[in-house]
Amino acid sequence: MKLLIGAFAGALLAASSALTPAVAQEFTKPLRIVVAAPPGGTSDILARLIAPELSEAVGQPVVVENKAGAGSNIGADYVAKAEPDAHTLLLMDVSTLATAPWLYSDLSYDPTNDLAPVTMISFSPYIFAVNPQLEIDNVEALVALGEEDPRALRIGNSGIGSATHLAGVMLGDHLGLDWTTIPYRGGSESSRAVVSGEATVIINGSTATLPFVKSGQLTGIALTGDSRLDDLPDMPTFGELGLAADQMGSWQGLLTTGGSSEELVERLGEEVRRIVESPEMQARVAEQGARTATGTSQEFSTWLADSTETYGEIIQQFGITIQ
Amino acid sequence: MELIDNLYLGFATALSFQNLMYCLLGVTIGMLIGVLPGVGNLAAISMLLPLTFYVEPTTALVLLAGIYYGAQYGGSTASILLNLPGHPAAAVVCLDGYPMTREGRAGVALFMTTIASFVGSAFAIVLLAAFAPPLASIALSFGAAEYFAIMVLGLVGASLLAQGSPIKGVASVIIGLVLGLVGTDVTTGMQRFAFGVTYVYDGINIVALAMGLFGITEVIANVGRVDNSNATKRITLRSMLPTRDDVKRSLAPMLRGSAVGSGVGILPGAGVAIASFMAYAIEKRVARDPSRFGKGAIEGITAPESANNAAAQSAFIPTLTLGIPGDAVMALMLGALMIHGIAPGPTVISETPEIFWGLVASFLIGNLILLVLNIPFISVWVSILRIPYTILFPSVILFIVIGVYSINNAHVDVLLVAAFGAMGYWLYLLKFEPAPLLLGFILGPLLEENFRRSLLISRGELGIFIERPISATFLALTVLLVAWTIISSLRRRKRQFASVEEAG
Repeated sequence: MKLLIGAFAGALLAASSALTPAVAQEFTKPLRIVVAAPPGGTSDILARLIAPELSEAVGQPVVVENKAGAGSNIGADYVAKAEPDAHTLLLMDVSTLATAPWLYSDLSYDPTNDLAPVTMISFSPYIFAVNPQLEIDNVEALVALGEEDPRALRIGNSGIGSATHLAGVMLGDHLGLDWTTIPYRGGSESSRAVVSGEATVIINGSTATLPFVKSGQLTGIALTGDSRLDDLPDMPTFGELGLAADQMGSWQGLLTTGGSSEELVERLGEEVRRIVESPEMQARVAEQGARTATGTSQEFSTWLADSTETYGEIIQQFGITIQ
Repeated sequence: MELIDNLYLGFATALSFQNLMYCLLGVTIGMLIGVLPGVGNLAAISMLLPLTFYVEPTTALVLLAGIYYGAQYGGSTASILLNLPGHPAAAVVCLDGYPMTREGRAGVALFMTTIASFVGSAFAIVLLAAFAPPLASIALSFGAAEYFAIMVLGLVGASLLAQGSPIKGVASVIIGLVLGLVGTDVTTGMQRFAFGVTYVYDGINIVALAMGLFGITEVIANVGRVDNSNATKRITLRSMLPTRDDVKRSLAPMLRGSAVGSGVGILPGAGVAIASFMAYAIEKRVARDPSRFGKGAIEGITAPESANNAAAQSAFIPTLTLGIPGDAVMALMLGALMIHGIAPGPTVISETPEIFWGLVASFLIGNLILLVLNIPFISVWVSILRIPYTILFPSVILFIVIGVYSINNAHVDVLLVAAFGAMGYWLYLLKFEPAPLLLGFILGPLLEENFRRSLLISRGELGIFIERPISATFLALTVLLVAWTIISSLRRRKRQFASVEEAG
């Protein structure tokens, strides 16, 4: 009798394990988070904070790999062309995905179909700041200075076609300013330039810019996004001032290869949102001047489609090309 | 005595058991990374970054910084032994370090570079402790025009690197400049010579270029050569010890190298490699007999080695006092600080003095550890030369491939190494030199970017280069250097002419 029960239980177990794959898909091998930026930046730090917890949640090792370059397009292209099994993830500032189709005529992947949004992770606003030697701290004074001496206003950005460049172009047009645009290789070079006075104006991510504003090396004028920063409660938002480009900023999102099983994508989204929404994680993200911003893959897709349209209009209106 | 109090605080922090252990760990990893050809400290530091989430910020920085400056020590080891630079800055050390190995003086070369590294680091640490804030504000007064002027001086100085035919030297610099054009033009965003290859949109990877030109070329050139004779000798302590002449010749070059390196190091974005090249060029210029260079001149290894270590150390000045990182690794360290909620910038020294002074003290301790670690290792490194070529060279290639891949995780970089290896061998057969090429490649993009940026700022007026005093000074120095070179070569020719006439 005992033997019979044992055999029965064994058969049941075998049956259930044979059934499992059909019921719930599992992660069968190590996952990779490809970071489309160099180590040490916002995307990289997020990936390295998320990786160990995601590994625990899905029961597989999670490896972080940096594939930087060509304005995040190298990393994006890599994930777009990976096996569509939801095991290769992409973490990046997703603004690039909205601008790349307009900037590169021969883009090697299709951001809409070759990549599947998993979840949004965080948002950090752009800060619009000036060198203190300009002795201005508001938009009216900036416009007045620009009319008096156009050469005094030199706006640095992180490279032609970067989101910070587009934000500068939109803002300059909105304010009717004839400022000199000076492109740099990335945000830390443009920050150096505006702190030293080589450039005098900058729009750049809060993670990089906030320390300079707090220490007085730069004067903050305004920031993008919906809310003021706890650290600098006196600095108004673009929205309050009615400025263009008020929703721009650094949006960190997680994607995977297009065509991956929706079930796995959904599961990843849930796990990552749970990790990101934990109080410790929110605190870590806040320390970098950002805030967590989660959203389902559906919401992310809609956001991406809308942004792609908006950026397309700007890029075509101002004739920005990089090829 | 504020400085004494600060240093006391610094040593109290740095000498805690935990910080000491992390310092030891950091410099050891750094030294090994430096020795391995092509393996970048960025890859290693990024892998250790998560570890730093869980320790004190000072401890985290002690570890990461240790890897950074530790790698400068090891970088010249393979340059000297195998003509294979551990990182691009160490390429200069190949010029005279490798000839020393061929003379059987590898031990001496390694010993002297260790000493030179320590001297350079110590020099820059003293500057960091005593004058960090004023030096940082000097660094900030360097704008695009000043960077351009320095790069012009550097490029003219580069002509001094050439050892053989001057025409071939100039040609090498130009090939380097052309390779530097590949990728996105920063000023307009246009792609140049990228041919639709996304991987080179940001330019050719300098590590791939340096490893191909030096390492792979050396391997190919040695294929078929069977004698290891210079290496089979037993390494005794005596063979490691420099002669009195070596020491005497090195003292002034080490100090000049340290000064040049410290100066270049505080300029964000200029990079350690430029410091080494400049120090070498200066030594060759001031030497009584420049023909010794390239044949195992001790100054040719000690000056650039002091310079790159000083630059690696003084690069912390703008990073820690202004929050402005000089390169990607420094940016990563600032990222580590921000994870702990510390905003980098001028307030770091006043608000968290234990971090700043703890780091300064740990630099000194770390460099002492490196000195002690390196000297016994010399005989181990030299024994690498006893490994038969059939085992050594395939391993070298394996390390290069792993190292280069680790920089960007890009397979294209591995293919580029192979291509540059082939190109390097072809240049070797035609007797073109790789060092001026590499310098042209490093300086070209900086020269162009800063020139065009200056003109953007001045709205097209060339006067910007002579209106600004620092830039004008560097340009004047360049003119003087060119004039002096022309005059001295004319004089030499006249003298030769005269002696021919006398004889006739």
